Amino acid sequence: MTANQDEMDVPAGPDVSAAGGITATAVSRSFGQVRAVEHMDFNAPAGKVTALIGPNGAGKTTLLLMLASLLAPDSGTITVEGLDPQHQRAEVRRRIGWMPDTLGVWESLTAREILTQMARFYQLPKTGIAQRVTDMLDRVRLSDLADQPARVLSRGQQQRLSLARALIHDPSVLLLDEPASGLDPGSRVELRTMLRQLAAEGKSIVVSSHVLSELDEIADAAVFVNHGRTVRQQTTEEAAAAGRRYAIAATDGSALAAKLTELGLAFRVEDGRRPSVSLMLTNDDDAARLLRDLVLAGVAVRSFAPASGALEETYMNLEGERR
Amino acid sequence: MSQPTDTAQRPPAAGPGAGYLAGIRDVVVLELKQRLRSRGWYIMLAIWFILTGLVTWLTWASWNAQREAQRAYSNFMQPETGPGSMIFEVVLAFVLLFALLVAPALSANAVNGDRAGGTLAILQVTLLRPGQILWGKFFAAWAAALAFLVASTPFLVIGVALGGMTPGHVVVALLMLAVEVGVVCAFGVGISALAGRPLFSIVVTYLAVAGLVFGSLISFALGAGLSQGTIMANQAQYRSYAPYEPMEEQPAPVEPEYTCSGPLQEQPAVHTENVAWMLAMNPYVVVADAIPYPVRLSNAYGMGSPVGAIETVSQGARYAMAGPEGTYPCANGEAKPRYLAQSTPLWPLGLGLQLLLAGLLMWLGWRSLRTPAHRLARGTRIA
Repeated sequence: MTANQDEMDVPAGPDVSAAGGITATAVSRSFGQVRAVEHMDFNAPAGKVTALIGPNGAGKTTLLLMLASLLAPDSGTITVEGLDPQHQRAEVRRRIGWMPDTLGVWESLTAREILTQMARFYQLPKTGIAQRVTDMLDRVRLSDLADQPARVLSRGQQQRLSLARALIHDPSVLLLDEPASGLDPGSRVELRTMLRQLAAEGKSIVVSSHVLSELDEIADAAVFVNHGRTVRQQTTEEAAAAGRRYAIAATDGSALAAKLTELGLAFRVEDGRRPSVSLMLTNDDDAARLLRDLVLAGVAVRSFAPASGALEETYMNLEGERR
Repeated sequence: MSQPTDTAQRPPAAGPGAGYLAGIRDVVVLELKQRLRSRGWYIMLAIWFILTGLVTWLTWASWNAQREAQRAYSNFMQPETGPGSMIFEVVLAFVLLFALLVAPALSANAVNGDRAGGTLAILQVTLLRPGQILWGKFFAAWAAALAFLVASTPFLVIGVALGGMTPGHVVVALLMLAVEVGVVCAFGVGISALAGRPLFSIVVTYLAVAGLVFGSLISFALGAGLSQGTIMANQAQYRSYAPYEPMEEQPAPVEPEYTCSGPLQEQPAVHTENVAWMLAMNPYVVVADAIPYPVRLSNAYGMGSPVGAIETVSQGARYAMAGPEGTYPCANGEAKPRYLAQSTPLWPLGLGLQLLLAGLLMWLGWRSLRTPAHRLARGTRIA
């Protein structure tokens, strides 16, 4: 017995990071004939922001519902910090904060009342609830509107309220379904900062989104899904290392084309509003070298910039592979 | 399991039951806050109050007019005490009718309305258990419907005040109305957890209420038609009828007023007792049967006639429940108690069946609220 317990105890220390976060292994879920999620693998480690990327109908929301322990997978397993949502329901729920893609607001209640109710539903100690609610309202900048009925809040404000609602019980796993939709640019930056902060506190954060350039800045890693399957799982560094498309525009398009041909680079003429070409470059050093070469060759470069985010590049490639 | 956060976040232990009830109370608070802030509810309440008042006043006025007419054109006066019983009965029937109409509207979108609004999953993802959500929704709907009963209480009290009734009648009537409204609310909440769309569940709940009110009568009538049978009975020898005389001069009637003699023979009879349970499920029967009235001895006319609608409904239902074994003259060669003396109450059976049905619907609703969900109703989206 003692030996057994020791064995259990020894890995417990380092195991926190391994068992931390949220993991789905080979989960499948179908609705009638529609196979929404098929054999999907997913892992969001603690202390990281993991992006869940995929086209509409790829199974992102279904996966998030399963991760949030609302939907049971037909097969496969889900563990939240080493716990099983089927059997350790309450323990799992205490650890999960879920922000749905639908707003879902009790319209006649005020923001403060909504958060207070949520705190009660999460059985937080009653004495601390009022303070906790005030803190959360501050954190999402809704203090001024705290006592207005939620129906007068704008979409972006309701979105922030929804985020505060997901955070009220200080969960260690945060599942955000399209958190940036409807947010103005200022709020997006705020959301980004906030998510980085939360990740730094050691929470595992899952963000699903279509706004890929956004995710480049916040996500440490991305899981690409399509047709209910995990297509690729990579970190943002890996994505960046896989090469990135750059768009180059010059005053004289033909001179640019000639120089690129001379350098032996394959490029593509883009039919955007302004004439430009685009080409794949492996890394930032390559880009710097090419820019220097072009300028030294006397090509009047007007702009030279990444055409897309690193994640977007992968995403578009996946889309291409699909066809 | 034994991480420090576990114990830190756990509420102070007050027993699992108390925690469960606290969760229900939290859901009720959430629901009632929303209901109390919607203007529609107040408007409905005001309309209800005015309508019930109007019905009460019209009943009283028509009773007065009737009495005036009787006084003017005949010297025959019924020995009744006042309009109390009549007002009470009419108002009671009316309140029950409208309660049955209002309760589905207040309850049958409780769960799927939230589902459509995207707020149900937000409750489901918390520590609330499916039963707490469902019970919370039920109690909130019931409370909202009970407000309508409270609004009609003054008029039932008027029925008593105008004479003929005791406060006990009002208490029993209100209690039974409250229970019936609760049954309908449980129907509504259960169905709303099962059905995808609010409109559908509201219609289904109304149909269920119609099934209880009208369907029970229809199925009883049809069922009685199929329950033809025979009964062994012999001949009843009635005492000679006394010529019509004013009641006061009649001697006290002798029970029973016939004797049985002769060989037992098969007689055709309708075995209503086999289908009386359908009748018992009628909310009107349940309410009427539960309200106490004195057991009357037969009067001079040989046949006692029930006084008032409540008594008529109750005795009719009890008569059906007793069946020919208990009511057919000289069944098995025994004299039977009179029409009005059926004393076995029917309402516990009816209410029991209603509660069984309501419990079944609530249980099915509870099943559909469990998370992580394995099966989803067709066309429902969890979030």
